[in-house]
Amino acid sequence: MSELIFTPVIGIEIHIRLKTDTKIFCSCSTNTDVEPNTHVCPVCMGLPGSLPRLNHQVVEKGMLAGLALNCTVQPKSLFFRKSYFYPDLPKGHQISQCDLPIVAQGFIEVHDANGNLKKIRVNHLHLEEDVGSLHHSASDGRLEGAAISFVDYNRSGMPLAEIVSEPDVSSAKEAVEYVTTLRRRVIYSGASDVELEKGMMRFDANVSMKCSDGRWGRKVEVKNMNSFHALERAIEYEIKRQKKIMLSGGEILQETRHWNDAKGVTTASRVKEFYRKFIVEPDLPPLIIDQAWIDRVTSMMPEMPDVRAKRYVQDYKLPQEVADFLTDVKDLSDYFEACVKAGANPVRAAHWVRTEVLRVMNEKQIRKVADFGISPETLTNLIAKIDGGKLSTTQAKEVFDYMSANNCGIDEAVKACGISEGGVAGNMLEEIIKSVIAANPDVLDEIKSGRDTKGKKLKFLQGLVMKEVKGQAKPQEVSQTLEKILNA
Amino acid sequence: MKLSSEEVNEIALESRLVLSDQELENAVRYINNFLDMLDRFKELDLKDVEPFSFAEALECPLREDAVKPFANTRAILDESAHVENSLFKVPRIMEE
Amino acid sequence: MAELYELDLSSASEGLKAGKFSPEELFDSCWKRAQSCEKNIRAFITETEDFAREQLKNSGKSSSIFDGIPTVLKDNLCTQGIRTTAASKILGNWRPPYDATVWKLLRESGAILMGKVNMDEFAMGNTCGNSAFGATRNPHDISRVPGGSSGGSAAAVAAGYVPFSLGSDTGGSIRQPASYCGIYGLKPTYGMVSRYGLISYGSSLDQIGPFARTVRDLQLVMQLLAQHDPMDSSSFREKNPDFTHNPNVNLKGKRVALVKEFQSFTLDAPISDAMKHVEKILEDEGAIITEVSLPIISKYAVACYYALAMSEAHTNLERYDGVRYGYTVQDAKGIKEMFERVRSYGFGSEVKSRIIAGTCLTEPSRCEEYYVAATKVRTLIAQEFARAFENTDFILQPVTPSLAPKIGEVDEDEMKGYETDLYTLPVNLAGLPGLSFFTGYAGKLPVGLQLIGARWSDPELLNAGVVLERRLGSPKIADGGVE
Ligand SMILES: [Mg+2]
Ligand SMILES: [Zn+2]
Repeated sequence: MSELIFTPVIGIEIHIRLKTDTKIFCSCSTNTDVEPNTHVCPVCMGLPGSLPRLNHQVVEKGMLAGLALNCTVQPKSLFFRKSYFYPDLPKGHQISQCDLPIVAQGFIEVHDANGNLKKIRVNHLHLEEDVGSLHHSASDGRLEGAAISFVDYNRSGMPLAEIVSEPDVSSAKEAVEYVTTLRRRVIYSGASDVELEKGMMRFDANVSMKCSDGRWGRKVEVKNMNSFHALERAIEYEIKRQKKIMLSGGEILQETRHWNDAKGVTTASRVKEFYRKFIVEPDLPPLIIDQAWIDRVTSMMPEMPDVRAKRYVQDYKLPQEVADFLTDVKDLSDYFEACVKAGANPVRAAHWVRTEVLRVMNEKQIRKVADFGISPETLTNLIAKIDGGKLSTTQAKEVFDYMSANNCGIDEAVKACGISEGGVAGNMLEEIIKSVIAANPDVLDEIKSGRDTKGKKLKFLQGLVMKEVKGQAKPQEVSQTLEKILNA
Repeated sequence: MKLSSEEVNEIALESRLVLSDQELENAVRYINNFLDMLDRFKELDLKDVEPFSFAEALECPLREDAVKPFANTRAILDESAHVENSLFKVPRIMEE
Repeated sequence: MAELYELDLSSASEGLKAGKFSPEELFDSCWKRAQSCEKNIRAFITETEDFAREQLKNSGKSSSIFDGIPTVLKDNLCTQGIRTTAASKILGNWRPPYDATVWKLLRESGAILMGKVNMDEFAMGNTCGNSAFGATRNPHDISRVPGGSSGGSAAAVAAGYVPFSLGSDTGGSIRQPASYCGIYGLKPTYGMVSRYGLISYGSSLDQIGPFARTVRDLQLVMQLLAQHDPMDSSSFREKNPDFTHNPNVNLKGKRVALVKEFQSFTLDAPISDAMKHVEKILEDEGAIITEVSLPIISKYAVACYYALAMSEAHTNLERYDGVRYGYTVQDAKGIKEMFERVRSYGFGSEVKSRIIAGTCLTEPSRCEEYYVAATKVRTLIAQEFARAFENTDFILQPVTPSLAPKIGEVDEDEMKGYETDLYTLPVNLAGLPGLSFFTGYAGKLPVGLQLIGARWSDPELLNAGVVLERRLGSPKIADGGVE
């Protein structure tokens, strides 16, 4: 009997918060660092008589995100009412484009098990409103076991993009690469910051199994994953669970399961599946997007990270791995590009950004490159000073650290570090060398006698000189001057 | 096809309405008469007809993304009997 | 001299501007009149005398014709800090934290709010008897209904509480009570008056409009209300229409059509008589009487209307759950129990039936067959009207097949009752303007008819109303059961 082969068939739904100043249907702020229920108004509280008003930026950001996923903008889209009762949903229905989305038909490339590129098709991206947030009274803060909950509607009406993939994903690993690449592209487009720790990206997965004996398992919707890791674990768990059932000849139930991150399991949802029906949102006429707007937004689209990495390899001769690393985070990559633009040598700039800039940012827990004190131009000047022989690499690092710690310019830092730019050279160097030689007559004798055939003693003298100048002399000049004096 | 009182009751519960026997009886009669009335649609050929929208209001107006805080948020909270520390308190959500 | 409460809006405004009387005197006269009629008519849900007297302190500062003019609002229009109920228990004592745009416009023009008036719960009904606050009665005959759902607004104007009021019309809720109460009522073109702050029933059908005792007063109110409102995405965006009153307008060469299919329907004698009478007047005024055929409308409009109204209504009513405002319970053991108790107690039976019907129609298994089909039938209806208006300026038709019925005299079969709305609700499906106008009396009871225009023809429609009023005479103030 041949072994049964199971192929997971996975579709992924992602909710991403779009980056705007105001909510999707009202002029309330999207800033969440405030007291509960302060950024609310009749519209996002669903008060009787209030009417939604669509935010221009939400549409534009939705287009940007869609273009980042290789989608096509639809000239006409529509909003619907998606009904279910839940205390965080103030109108008892969510306004969502579910059936006629703003962008459709894209793809994201990932690597399959054999390392080959594979397209995960994106069915569509649609705009919708977020619900309020719930805080539960249970000791672990979870919904299960909570006798009471508290609702904060500050999040109600936040603009969301829901991205629905085709069931093209075949493993948890592919799923993670899909969402990682997607996230990076969306950030690049400027549509969202997608800060995971702020809950700006949430995942659901539809998992089913195809068996080599021709059986198909039913689709299970797995909900409640808030991190890449949770997505990966939940899919792995669900694949294992379904395979086990199918191997024993059991039936997979079509159901909604919740990922329990603490326990690392999915559990059948105890709440009866939300009853959903859609009617056209009568308070919002169709959203019409003309070609001029599409063109304008298309022209706003920055280079995508994978494309950019390719360019780094070709134009800047960076190794692929360095290019991938640099393009992972857009603002870091932008910083690097700004250095190159300011005239820095790309390889050297890449090295500095990867090592020194990131090191200091980590040490100081700076999250955005924009908040990092040293501008690309300053870093470029610093690198130029190394290349121009005015500073040694060691000195430059010292200057760099001083600048980042004290928020000052290069000149001030150089001075404060006690470095004289260009180092010890010329007459001063000669004098130091002479004094070093004078202090070591035995070594001089040995060299003069010709016994130092391997140049060990010469190197020893050079070392003493470098120590004396605190590294502030060019090694080449030291050795040249030293030889000149010895031969004189 | 007539709806049974079980079916109507089910729909009512989906709408979070618990009906008395009398209300349910009325609702069953009402819904079935209503559906009979709507069966008229079957006489029409609607295959190629677009769903309605107002010709002039074809486009959704778009609002500028500028923050305008609502001045009266306190008055919103004051209308609820469930507010505690500026949060809306609700009973157990998860059914046992 | 006549009592001040008898003055229409333009005369009252002129009197105030000329200093013939003060805003207080006008209000006192109207308030006294309202108080003397109210025990019979029961138009108010909430009287706002204190608020009005506060407002009066600032009267006389605005040049607006509305400055110092008392009015009442249908209780589905939000008034900041003032209880707004939609005639439902479920809203409890809700005080909206904001004003409906129409009230904001009036308030800023100096209009004085005398009260919030009765209606059918959430505007679902045509008698003004389906209210958590009891039935309002017709000021011409208190044993009869004032019509609905804006019955309180119509009764208050007819009985002389106020010279004008606002109501809302989803399927006839302005035109039918205007007709039963013997005054004028306009259902404007959908999109002409902002719906912001109107508690929704069927959002794509709802429209706010005025009641008054002269067409000229309707023009004055429309001149104020018909302006773009960014708060309502369905609000028109063209330049403001011109509702300037011209007493000398005429109807020469205007084509006025009768609906062919309606000819065979039975009408109460006073209404068919009025139809013939008005036809003659129109011809006499130089208008050309024609005929249009509206086969789809006459057969499918009622079903289409109720399917859509209920589908939209049930989603509009999903928000009433007791968490954020309105009626609530404190001791529910779970959220589902809380929602069920709040909604089961808070909604009246007609509303519940419509919620269940709307839910039923939009269930995934039935949505295509009923809800989607209705949206398509609506397209056919709008197209049929559009074709009709290529060859005609106005359509003349009844508002209802009979005069105001007795209170409690309702059909056991709701569907038959719904069929009587055939004359009013097609207008809402196509977003057209409809004017309900007074034609005279049959005994004590007033007789009204309806003129319909193409979309955005509201100013012309009211001009036609001016001609009709000139020929038919203006209504008198009802006795209000007082005498
Ligand atoms: Mg969603
Ligand atoms: Zn808001």
